Amino acid sequence: MKSISKHAKLNMLAMTIASVFSANAMSATNPEALADAIAKQEAELTALKSQLQQLAQQQKQQQLQSQQKEAEQQQALQVASEAKSSAWDKFSFKSYGSVIYTSDEYYDNVQDTSPERRSRFDLERIVTEFGYQFNEQWDMEVEIEYEHGGTGTALEYDGFDEFGEFEAEVEAGGEVMIEKAQIRYRPSEAFGVKFGNIHLPVGLSSTLHKPSQYLTVQRHKSEVAMLPAVWNENGIGIFGEVENFHYQAQVVSGLNSEYFRTYDWVASGHQKRFEHVNADDLAYVVRLDYGNFKKGSAIGASYYYGNTSGNRHKTNKLSADGTVEILSVAAAFVEGPWILRGQYLYGTLSDSDAITQANKTTPGLKPGNFAQLGAKSEAFFVEAGVDLGQFTSVPITVFANIDYSNPLKEVETGTATKRYENTWISAGVNYFPIPEIVIKAEAGVQQVAVASIPDTNFFALGVGYQFSI
Amino acid sequence: MKHFTQSVVAIALISALAGCGGSGSDDSTPEVIPETGFTFSATDMVANLTDDVIVAGYSNLAVRGEAMLQATQTLVATPTQANLEAAQAAWKAARQPWEQGESHIFGPVDSLGIDPHLDSWPLNTTDLTTVLANNAGFDAETIKGWNDDVQGFHTMEYLLFGDGVADNTKTISELTVNERDYLMGLAEVFRDYTKTLDDAWLISHDGQNGKAYGELLKNSGADGNTFYSSEVGVVEELVNGMIGIVDEVGNGKIADPFGESLAKADTSKVESQYSWNSLTDFSDNIVGVRNVYLGELEGNADKQGIIDFVDAANPELATRVKDEIDDAISKIEAIAGDNNMPFRQAISDADGRVRIQTAVDALTKLQASLESDVLPLLKEWNI
Repeated sequence: MKSISKHAKLNMLAMTIASVFSANAMSATNPEALADAIAKQEAELTALKSQLQQLAQQQKQQQLQSQQKEAEQQQALQVASEAKSSAWDKFSFKSYGSVIYTSDEYYDNVQDTSPERRSRFDLERIVTEFGYQFNEQWDMEVEIEYEHGGTGTALEYDGFDEFGEFEAEVEAGGEVMIEKAQIRYRPSEAFGVKFGNIHLPVGLSSTLHKPSQYLTVQRHKSEVAMLPAVWNENGIGIFGEVENFHYQAQVVSGLNSEYFRTYDWVASGHQKRFEHVNADDLAYVVRLDYGNFKKGSAIGASYYYGNTSGNRHKTNKLSADGTVEILSVAAAFVEGPWILRGQYLYGTLSDSDAITQANKTTPGLKPGNFAQLGAKSEAFFVEAGVDLGQFTSVPITVFANIDYSNPLKEVETGTATKRYENTWISAGVNYFPIPEIVIKAEAGVQQVAVASIPDTNFFALGVGYQFSI
Repeated sequence: MKHFTQSVVAIALISALAGCGGSGSDDSTPEVIPETGFTFSATDMVANLTDDVIVAGYSNLAVRGEAMLQATQTLVATPTQANLEAAQAAWKAARQPWEQGESHIFGPVDSLGIDPHLDSWPLNTTDLTTVLANNAGFDAETIKGWNDDVQGFHTMEYLLFGDGVADNTKTISELTVNERDYLMGLAEVFRDYTKTLDDAWLISHDGQNGKAYGELLKNSGADGNTFYSSEVGVVEELVNGMIGIVDEVGNGKIADPFGESLAKADTSKVESQYSWNSLTDFSDNIVGVRNVYLGELEGNADKQGIIDFVDAANPELATRVKDEIDDAISKIEAIAGDNNMPFRQAISDADGRVRIQTAVDALTKLQASLESDVLPLLKEWNI
């Protein structure tokens, strides 16, 4: 009943509006009155035109005068600011970050085939980046990442506990990491050198890691299950741009095979657990791109090569090299409203059985059930999006994504289990209320390549920001 | 007169205090420590627990590991029902010293990561199926390279006893050739690890040039022993070992599959569910606690154990803890009821659940006594 009366009211309102418009149209049908009105208006128009011409001449003169004044003022300001030569001009600050909410299904243990749903919030990361341009050729950059709310201890005083008590408390289990600390020398566009703690150009996440640079809520799961995501190492690299070709070549600290695990291949071999990074085995990286992944369409490939056994802490457990080779091929087509990006990663690890054995029997290392390593590993993703903002006034991008990874693609002896072969298929939206902020939603399905493990559904929400001053 | 007395007292006090001040650097007067602690010489007890309980247990395990390998070799050579049953018995025999040894799960069993290689739980039946379908002629070295959830006690248990849902018996016709071969390979890997563990206690803790772990335990604070700087550390390790397994049995092994209600009971979480050996496992765990507490394996002559240490401080507590251990063991055994009900059935049975709760309560009581009465004795121990 209520809804019917509401409709009736709406209809009445619509009719009223329609009749008002039609009345206006009716009143303009008398031809004599119209001719009079037109003549009167024409006279008025000619008068107005002459007035406007006069005004325009006056304005031109005034504009010339004011332009002269402005130019003088700006000159004065420039002189003043140059005289100050502010250090802040050479300083840059950037920040980006994201908070996410995820809801996915998990299994209690390897026997479990009826998943339970769990929802979680995560202050995923807040990254601050400080830069300083010493002069035209030299600059430096330091990136500090606070993951999962950072970590810290606090001393608290509790006056109500007996005579008052000081208590040290660990506040959170997050991480604070230096993700980049580099000095660059760039004499020309075609050639530059950077050294310190630098990003490896392997995996697109190292290039596109800000929330607005990838469509999914979390960074691509395929890459995380195979490589250190946003991979940084200590070393030196050269880079440059020639005719839209971008090249990079680096010599960096290698991985440590003691921490290789079944589920993420060499990713956890990234040496960040200790104060010092063992550098007895170095790694070599090259990358060549045509176009720029950060700015739009591009195509590129990279290759990583390095031994890993030399960086083990227990040097007597393994003498084989444990060579890691990774090949990545990536392409992006970003044109008008269309976004299409993809990457294929393929990796090999020599002596994987020997490393498994060494990890299983190294005192205190405890890789537990995750010692077995893939001699070959594979991952890819493809994401496709359409920016609806180009067709409507709403700045929304809709997307579809597929991620696939198999860190245990092949083992040296025997047959690899398919338990670690995962596919994630999802769709979602990115909404940009302002260009610096993105709100994301994504829903999808995760498939494990083992028939007896049912598919699970996941849902995620995220908000990310980025700015630079 | 009163004023005079007060003045005298005051003067006397002042001069006494002044005297004290003057002799500040002179420590000739010995400090008086109130006699609140107790004394106990732990050397014999530690030596005895190391040799007669811990090392004897691991040697036993190594012998039974060897016997199990032989039983599986016989089974492969002559696959008969009798040989399958002999292999099943060998598995249960090896299980006993291992479960009893969980009351002292420190040292090499932990540092060499042997526990997960032998006793990973739950079993990954999905991967086990893949392994059996895609491989043949299993050799020990290859198996060692595979993940822990397709080897060790429970994989052998599954192959020997079947899935354990309706029964815990398997006939020789149900055991495929590939299963027999894999079983033999697994038994060899198992034998190797139990030998490594025994050697670590008797010969070298790291299998290289380090001392035997048994020697390190017996000689605390001597010859640059970086593992144990004093007997206090050794006794603490032993008591904490007992607490650890009481906690695991009560709050993990029993309580986890038990759940808060019958509807939440989960048989998939029951350890040793294929052989229906769960209750034996649990009671053996607490028998292991009793072995450490009393100082000898069951049936052996009385020697010094933790009970003698507790007795030196508080004889009443010493007896009470012994009674609580015995009580916990009998309550766990009583879960089987009159009709020998296995644990995986008992968690889904109304009466069984009542008996399980009684056992959990007994374990909770024992854990509280060990934590709040026995462990604090270390602070009162005047060594």
